[in-house]
Amino acid sequence: MSDSRNSSSRSLISSIMNPKFIMVYATVGIFLVIYLFGAAAYGSKGFTTLRTFTNLFIDNAYYGISAVGMTMVLITGGIDLSVGAVASLTGMFIAYGTSVLGLNPWLCIAFSLVVGVGLGLLMGWVIHYLNVPPFITTLTGMFLARGVCALISRESIEIKNETIDALASWKLYFMQFKDGEWVRIRPSAYINFNVILFLVMLLLGIYLLQRTRFGRNIYAIGGNEQSAKLMGLPVGRTKILVYGFNGLCSVLAGIAYALYVKSGWNLSLQGAELDVITCAVIGGTLLTGGEGYMIGTLFGVLLKSMIPALITFNGNLLSWWGKIATGLLLLLFICIQKIVVSSTERRNSRTKKTKKSKA
Amino acid sequence: MKKRFDLSTLMRSKVTWAVVAEVLILLVCLIVRPDFFTISYQPSTGMLYGNLIDIVNRSSEITIIAMGMTLVIALGGTDLSVGALVAVSGAIALKFLRWDVTVYNTPGDYTVSPFFLVLVVPMLVCILMGLFNGFLIAKWEMQPIIATLILMVCGRGIAQILTNGKQFTTGYSPFRVIGQGSFLFLPMPIIITAVVVALVSLFVRKTAFGTFVESVGINRKASRLSGINAQMIIFIVFALTGFLSGISGLIYSSRIMSNDSNNAGLNFEMDAILAVVIGGTSMTGGKFSLVGTVLGSIIIRTIVTLVYYFGIASEATMAFKAVIIAVVIVLQSEPVRNYFSKRANARAKLANGGVK
Repeated sequence: MSDSRNSSSRSLISSIMNPKFIMVYATVGIFLVIYLFGAAAYGSKGFTTLRTFTNLFIDNAYYGISAVGMTMVLITGGIDLSVGAVASLTGMFIAYGTSVLGLNPWLCIAFSLVVGVGLGLLMGWVIHYLNVPPFITTLTGMFLARGVCALISRESIEIKNETIDALASWKLYFMQFKDGEWVRIRPSAYINFNVILFLVMLLLGIYLLQRTRFGRNIYAIGGNEQSAKLMGLPVGRTKILVYGFNGLCSVLAGIAYALYVKSGWNLSLQGAELDVITCAVIGGTLLTGGEGYMIGTLFGVLLKSMIPALITFNGNLLSWWGKIATGLLLLLFICIQKIVVSSTERRNSRTKKTKKSKA
Repeated sequence: MKKRFDLSTLMRSKVTWAVVAEVLILLVCLIVRPDFFTISYQPSTGMLYGNLIDIVNRSSEITIIAMGMTLVIALGGTDLSVGALVAVSGAIALKFLRWDVTVYNTPGDYTVSPFFLVLVVPMLVCILMGLFNGFLIAKWEMQPIIATLILMVCGRGIAQILTNGKQFTTGYSPFRVIGQGSFLFLPMPIIITAVVVALVSLFVRKTAFGTFVESVGINRKASRLSGINAQMIIFIVFALTGFLSGISGLIYSSRIMSNDSNNAGLNFEMDAILAVVIGGTSMTGGKFSLVGTVLGSIIIRTIVTLVYYFGIASEATMAFKAVIIAVVIVLQSEPVRNYFSKRANARAKLANGGVK
C-alpha cells in the first residue's frame, strides 16, 4: 500500500514539476509578487481584504468568461477578434428586447445565444473550408456585429426589467460562524451571478481541454494542423466547434457585462478583444498555438485586473498609466516566454546530443 | 510574340477580383446617384471637387499606412501598433504647435516652435517606435502580432501622457496645408499619398529590397542561409511602417486641427490589414502587391461612401462594410478562385475545339 502511495505522490510531484507548466507558474508568481506589493503599499487602505479580492472577479468576470473561449481558439493557432463586438451585440439585444420591445429577457438571451454561436460556427466554417485567415474572418465578424449594434440603436439603452434586476443584484455573501450563528464577514465580501458564471465556464473549459477527446484534438491541431489531419483527427469539425464555443463564451460575456452595467450601448467593450487576448497571453498561452492552460488564463485575468485596482488604491495616478503598465506587463511576459522556450530548446538539444553520443 | 490572353490566370489573380469588386460598387453608386462621377472646379480654393476625388482623399491615411503594412504582411507578420502611432504622432505635433497663452487666448495662426520640429519630431518618434517593434521581432524573434500588441496597448497611454490627457487645438496655417491644402488642383493628402506610393514602389521594386522581403516572408531561415540579412530587412520594414504611420498621423491631425488620443487612428490597423488582404496579398507572407493595396484601400472607402448615400448612420456602415468585404473575401478565397479558373479553363478548351 505504502509503495503505491509513494509512487502516486512521486508522479504528482513530477507532474507538478513538469516544465510545460513553467509559464503558468511564472504568471502565478508575478501575480503573487504584485499582490504582495499591493498589500505592503496599500494594506492599511484595505487592499488585503477579501472584498478587494472578490472585486477583482466581480469587475472582470466578463473578461474572464470571454478569455475561456479565447484560450481555446488561441491553442488551435487561430485568433478571434469578434468577441468584444458579439458581447456588445448581446447587451444590445437584451437591452433593446426588454426595454424597447418589452420581450421576455430569457427570449432575448436565447436569441443572442443562437446569433452568437451561429456567427462563431459560420466563422469557423469560413476559416476551415474557405481557407480565409482567422484574423480577417473574425475581423469581418467584428465589423458585422458592431454594425448591427449601431443599426439597432446608437444610443445607450438602460435595461429595466425585473428578472434582469434580480439576476444582477443577486449576491452570495461570505459568512462566518460566530457566537452560535452565521453572520456576514466584515467588511462584507460577496460574489454575484457573473462570478459564478465565470467559474463554471472556467471549470467547463478545464474539463474540455484536459479530459476530453475534443480538448486533445485542440492541442493536436495547434501543435501541427497538417499532422493532425494526417493522423485522421477531425480537424474541420474541431475548429468549427472551437469557434462556436468561443461564440458561446462571447454571448455569456455579453450577458455578464449587461448585468454589470445594466445597459446596452453599441460602442461598449470596444477593443475588449485585444484585452482578452492580452489576458490569455499573460497567462502563458502561445499565439503560435499548441500551448496554454485555463489556470494560466485565470491568473492572466486576475493580473490584468489588478493593475486598475492598484491605480484606484493609489489615487494619484491617472488611468492611462494602466494602459502603459499593461503593455509593460505584456513585454515582461513575452521576455519570460522567450527565455523559457529557448532554455527548454537548449535542454532538449543537449539531451538529444547525449543520447546520440551514448549510442 | 504577343503574350496570349489567358482567362484562367486572370481568374486566379486576386487583384482581378478586387478590380471587379470596385467596379461593381462604383456601378451601384452610379445607379443610386447618377451624378456620382461629376467633378467640379472651385476657383475660390483652387481645388477639384467630386465624389471620386473625395474617396481617394479620404482613403489617403489608410493607403499610406497600408503601404508599410503590405511589406509587414509580406514578411508574414502584422503590425497592430499603427493606429496608436497615429495618435502619438498627432499628440506630439500638437504639443509643438502650442502658442504663448499670455499673448493670445484663442487658437490662431501662431506657434512657438519652428515648423520643421512639428513635422520632424513626430516622424522621428514613430520611426523609433517602429524600430522598437522591429527589435522585438528581429532580435528576440517574437511573434509580430504580440510584439506590436505591446505598443498598441501602450501607445495611446503614451499619447495621453504627452498631452496630459488634454485635447489641444491649433489654427496654424502651414499645418493646415498638410490635410486641407491643395496642390495642382488636388487635395494635399492625395499628393502626399501619391508621392509615398511612388517612393515605396520605387524602393521596393527598383532595388532588390522587395525580393528580399518576399524571400524572408516565405522562409526566414533559408533566406538567412542564402546570405540575406533577415534581421536588417525586418528592422527596415517596421521602421518604415512606423514612419508612414507618423505621416498618416500628421494628415489626420491636420484635418481636424487638433489631437485626439482616444479616437485618432482608431481601427486603422484593422482597415490597413483589410486593405492589404483585399488587395491580394496573402496573410501567410510571401508575394505582395502594392497596387492591389492601394486598390483595397480605395475599395474600403468607396463602400463607406456608398453606405452614406443610403443615409445610414456612420457607425452602422460597419455592417455593410462587413457584408461587402465578406463577399470580396469569399470571392478571393482559394476554393472559389480555383472553381472559377477551372470553369474558365473548361470553357477555353471547348472554344479550342473540345477535348484534348
